[in-house]
Amino acid sequence: MHSIFARLNNSTSLLSSCLMGLLFAISLTTFLFNEEAHGQIVPASVKVLDARLPRQRYRTQEAVFTQFNVTADLTPLFHWNTKQVFVYLQAEYNNSKGVQNEVVVWDRIVRRKSDAVIRTRAMSKYSIRDLTRSFKKIPGAHFTLKYNIMPYVGVLTSGDIARTSELVTFPAAQRAVS
Amino acid sequence: MFEDEIRTIKRLGVRMILLQILNFASVIASGLMIWKGLSLVTNSESPIVVVLSGSMEPAFYRGDLLFLTNPVSELYKTGDITVYKIPGADIPIVHRVMETRDTPIKGWDKLNATTPHPVTQKLLTKGDNNAVDDLDLYQGIEWLERKHIVGKVRGFVPYVGYVTIAMNDFPQLKYALLGGLALLALFQRE
Repeated sequence: MHSIFARLNNSTSLLSSCLMGLLFAISLTTFLFNEEAHGQIVPASVKVLDARLPRQRYRTQEAVFTQFNVTADLTPLFHWNTKQVFVYLQAEYNNSKGVQNEVVVWDRIVRRKSDAVIRTRAMSKYSIRDLTRSFKKIPGAHFTLKYNIMPYVGVLTSGDIARTSELVTFPAAQRAVS
Repeated sequence: MFEDEIRTIKRLGVRMILLQILNFASVIASGLMIWKGLSLVTNSESPIVVVLSGSMEPAFYRGDLLFLTNPVSELYKTGDITVYKIPGADIPIVHRVMETRDTPIKGWDKLNATTPHPVTQKLLTKGDNNAVDDLDLYQGIEWLERKHIVGKVRGFVPYVGYVTIAMNDFPQLKYALLGGLALLALFQRE
């Protein structure tokens, strides 16, 4: 009855259930922190290029390259259960066929509170392409800065930081300088 | 060495052993029931997955445990971390959605529609730790669609899944564990 094995068994099962309870409680506290991050995005440059994209099936197509001045303060998002914050800038537009598009153009992973104040020129890491391969009939796009929080344990949360107030217009396509 | 055990078996008789086997079977069956029940609730074929690669570092490392849901009522959005399985590929992949293209379905009406949304989604994903998007991983498919997606990551527990990775890397461990459990179930006295 009171063998070493029984004692070991009991204590490990108690320990593991305590640990599970603790982790569950920690993951619940995520819901207590609901501070919002604030920021601003200002378009600096928007170019439509007749691009050759070697990895795409349609090799020649128009692609939009953007630059934004991004300022954001993510420090309110860092609490004791924040492992990292994934910040990303996305374009939202509808094309002439009614297709609703959301395309991420820039992203950054913030892992420390000391890096949480962002002041940068966000050059497009990913170009915007359209299913129709052309941006002639698309007047422009709205851009939104969003975040996605990875916890140490528990639920993933996400939200918006900033949005352009006016439509960011796409200029006419220009030949890519090769 | 096993005299003690043999003596217990003789003392307990065949019925007792059968009862123990039944107990063991019911434990396995209830585990399976919980798994399938979760699957039904979350609408995902495997609601709990273990991360097998480092392509989502530093968000997820090898051995982390992920909880997925795949509600029919929700469309996928950029920034969501999804688990998808390409037909023909042997392991599911955990990557982030970078592009969504929602094409309206012509003639969709709410009353006799087969899908709850008036759109079909095309998705492009990318691993946080990868330099380029997943086009090369799709094996000829151009866009990811809803049918390829196992679920969206909702919850996260670190390290726990390493047990299964260890069991896959060292199959002996798996057999030892299973055998040990079976023996324990047979010989355990109340």
